Amino acid sequence: MPNFMKGLVIAAASAAALTAAAPVAAQTEITVQRFFGTCDADWGSNTDVAKAVGECGIITSQINKFMADNPDIKVNVNTVEWPGYDQLTAQMASGDPPDVVTIHASVLSDYQQKGLLEPLEAVLASAGVDPASFTAAGREGVTKDGQIFALPFDNHAMLWHINMNYFKQAGLVNADGTPILPKSVDELLAQGKQFKEKVGKPYLVQILANERAAYTRALYIYLMQQKSDFFADPKKIKLNTPEAKNVLQMFKDLYDQDLTTKDQDYPAAVAGFSNGDGGAFLNGTWIIGDLDAQSHAEGNPLSGGGYAVYPYPQLFGGEPGYYSDGHTWAMPKKDRSPEQIAAIGKFMKFMADNNFDWSRTGHLPAMQAVIDSAEFKALPHRSTILSIADIAKPLPAAVQRQFAIQDIIGEEMSSAMTGDKEIDAALTDAEARVNDLLANL
Amino acid sequence: MAQTEVSTAPGQMAATAPRSRQVDAPRWSYLLFVLPFLVFFVLLLVIPLFWGMWLSLTKADLFGPGKFLGIDNYVRLFKDKIFIGAIWNTVYFVILTVPALAVIGLALALVLNRPTRTATVLRAIFFASTVLSVTIVTLIWRVVLIPDMGLMAAIYSWFGAKSPSFLSSAQLAMPSIAVATIWWCIGLPMMLFLAALQQVPREIYEAAALDNANRWRTLWFITLPSIRRTFVLVIIIQIVMQFQLFGQAQLMTQGGPNNASRPIVLYIYDVAFKRFDVGMGAAASEVLFALILVAAMAQYFVSRRRGED
Amino acid sequence: MTDASLPRSANVVGRSTGDRIILIATMLMALVMLLPVLWVIGLSFKMNAEIKLDPNSVFHIPYTLKNYGDVLSGSNVFRWFGNSFIVAIGMTAGVLILSSLAGYGFARLNFPFKNVIFIIVLFGLAVPEQAVIVARHQIFSVLKLHNTYQGLILPGLSASFGVFLMTQYFRAIPREIDEAALLDNASRFKIFWKVLLPLTIPAQATLGIFTFLGAWNDYWWPLISATKKEMFTITTGIASMQMNFAQTEGLGFIMAQAVMAALPTLLVYLFFQKYIVTAVSGSAVR
Repeated sequence: MPNFMKGLVIAAASAAALTAAAPVAAQTEITVQRFFGTCDADWGSNTDVAKAVGECGIITSQINKFMADNPDIKVNVNTVEWPGYDQLTAQMASGDPPDVVTIHASVLSDYQQKGLLEPLEAVLASAGVDPASFTAAGREGVTKDGQIFALPFDNHAMLWHINMNYFKQAGLVNADGTPILPKSVDELLAQGKQFKEKVGKPYLVQILANERAAYTRALYIYLMQQKSDFFADPKKIKLNTPEAKNVLQMFKDLYDQDLTTKDQDYPAAVAGFSNGDGGAFLNGTWIIGDLDAQSHAEGNPLSGGGYAVYPYPQLFGGEPGYYSDGHTWAMPKKDRSPEQIAAIGKFMKFMADNNFDWSRTGHLPAMQAVIDSAEFKALPHRSTILSIADIAKPLPAAVQRQFAIQDIIGEEMSSAMTGDKEIDAALTDAEARVNDLLANL
Repeated sequence: MAQTEVSTAPGQMAATAPRSRQVDAPRWSYLLFVLPFLVFFVLLLVIPLFWGMWLSLTKADLFGPGKFLGIDNYVRLFKDKIFIGAIWNTVYFVILTVPALAVIGLALALVLNRPTRTATVLRAIFFASTVLSVTIVTLIWRVVLIPDMGLMAAIYSWFGAKSPSFLSSAQLAMPSIAVATIWWCIGLPMMLFLAALQQVPREIYEAAALDNANRWRTLWFITLPSIRRTFVLVIIIQIVMQFQLFGQAQLMTQGGPNNASRPIVLYIYDVAFKRFDVGMGAAASEVLFALILVAAMAQYFVSRRRGED
Repeated sequence: MTDASLPRSANVVGRSTGDRIILIATMLMALVMLLPVLWVIGLSFKMNAEIKLDPNSVFHIPYTLKNYGDVLSGSNVFRWFGNSFIVAIGMTAGVLILSSLAGYGFARLNFPFKNVIFIIVLFGLAVPEQAVIVARHQIFSVLKLHNTYQGLILPGLSASFGVFLMTQYFRAIPREIDEAALLDNASRFKIFWKVLLPLTIPAQATLGIFTFLGAWNDYWWPLISATKKEMFTITTGIASMQMNFAQTEGLGFIMAQAVMAALPTLLVYLFFQKYIVTAVSGSAVR
């Protein structure tokens, strides 16, 4: 019945819209809320997406292009500071959320469980987007309770970004020019030591200050490689396990033996790796584009194509496993005119059609056609990381509050690494805190 | 500067309105003068206050009505190591900042209580930071303390040393926030002391000068006792203000590393707006309210005693 | 606080060598106080690439105006500025009107339950923002007041401080003044408006400055109430820029934005310094 009523209202509204159609069509306004930073000074008026580089440049240009292509739609862009969920939550609480918003696949269920997101099948279908065209990982990330709740637009994972110039100097390069990567924890420490002796710099560049996500994602990757089913029950994490201890001990050894940079926060670590602070930088897919561009420029530590990127090496034997997350465009529940819904559909369609542009950031595309395209394969470094597209998995879809969990684990891991806490205590505390959180949703 | 309500003139504070004249019979119509304010006061302060107390007894999120729990939220709260840690962090922060603010403020006031151009300029400088907003202050201090490219990094590099990472070390994070806060807030205590110093009757100094009392004796036996009450007042005002630490911690360290610099207010914010747990956030804010009420009561009694002197 | 109002310093600290040393030490401290600000200004004139490579680059050429150009051409600073101005002016006007009316009422008029009401209002002084903010957020959600100017202004109108201050001030005015007017059969409102209100200008100035600065620098409430970029105040707007140094336009740009954002407040402070200082010291110790 309500659906019928809704249909009636929509029909009446569109009839009214038709009869009232003035010679100059009024613009339909939609609000798009996103993170990825602001870069209006550099890209604020650019519509040539191919020219843009980096997450911020590309997304800014893409939205500009969308507006240029659709003069009848006005997009109000609301840029929030990453990840922007405090604001989104406050907006939803006040009943005034944006029309389209970037949400991590890992966070979707927080809002979806509260009934705050619009199911998207109908909108996508009328805009001509077929969920079958998503990659498997992309589709899994946005499917909750059997329904699609967002448009996936990438899969992202943590990677080893390698300064090949230093790796050469350290003698860690194969005859074919590929880097020698460790196959076990012992090899990791040995190669780290070798690197440090030959190059005089730390083996790894890590984001260790005020950072939670990087640690947690590394832990997930290595737990998945060890086939540790730490979220067998989505309401209860199991972290006090030998597998988790292995991982923490490894990171602590790296830290204690000065094989990693310390005390760098996110921007400092990015700047540090660019300036040649160390051999391999543990960061996400999103900086591939920037670093590759840097390796083709003159006069910096990565010059002369001295950049390569690989998945986290398989260190604990076993089968390959990998953790990934994804960015998605979701549509919060709200009263909207049919024109607005159509405009949102067009926006989603545009983002799906132009998924290749976004994949130039380094993210893995969420559209299977793009992954299969020659265009994508021709992008630098994609061949070395493509393997994770097949094996990478998110946490089980039913796990809620994944960002809060990520913070808790990251905080505890970081205090274990710096020696403020024993490894066992950190894991026990992390487990207790996560489970308390999940028990009190 | 946001908490202006605490910098009141408690000397004049009396709990009751003055007795009206007998001829002045109470009239309902006079209520009209007070009514406009009362409407806002009740709607935006009294009702939210009681609603908040109610929320603290419920399991509620931001998106809809909750269900009644009783005191469960409070039980969870006091079992939560992070919350207990946040209370200690807040107390630690108050201990770091309040004595420093009072002592430095007093010292500046004593030195700058002179009618020269230089003193005027210096007073202006020391007070100027007070008018900046918290976001500007934290921005300034973040680029001072940021490793590798900050001012401290530059200063350390002159001596061939490497600056510690102030904001990501569990030991240094809170002291760093405290330094930024002292930098920001030093103007108010200085001005309060300056104002107090000018209230000291000049005759006392003249008498002391006749007795040939030396400068330190004058300071110790005349000046300081005369402004004793202002000193207590400054301490209480600052305790109430610094107990509400939020912006600096949120913007400089986000409470990290591993909650080493998480104050109570940031805990409330995170619980209510990041974890949607409005009931527990409300419970935590009631605890903070109780703590601040104690300080405010102390302020009230101190100012009452002043009247009796 | 004018120079003339200060007592002769000679009484407190004499002109001696010790005195000079203390003064010089204070000047050095003032310099330390200014250093962070100078650092920020320095960074705002540097290219991002250079800052990243060497912190000491601030101390030598080249300098650039590019960051300021970028702020002027493509930044929301001015919009946020306008928002802050509207909110601060709105709140100041509201607080002055409500507090003056109520202050007069409590100080001079008798109405039923006056003492009880006054005690309750006084109690409001002890309620911190944190105790009401969550519930207030819910109420404003229901009333659809978030992301509006009213939503930012209204909470400030419920503070008791102004009423308390104005009540004190009205009480301090001799009753003979309004009694003379009463004999002339002037209405209560007319007495308030024509006779007493002009006498309270100094208190209005104190209260106005406090309210304005408080509104301008308010952080938590705008953070959760005004969540759209076009409704940010300058305080929350600057906060939204500062989280990801590397991912946004770079340190130099953010510093230029901060300088632009701080400049008006500092200019206002310099122009009205005398009044602000009087307000601060006057309100606290009388």
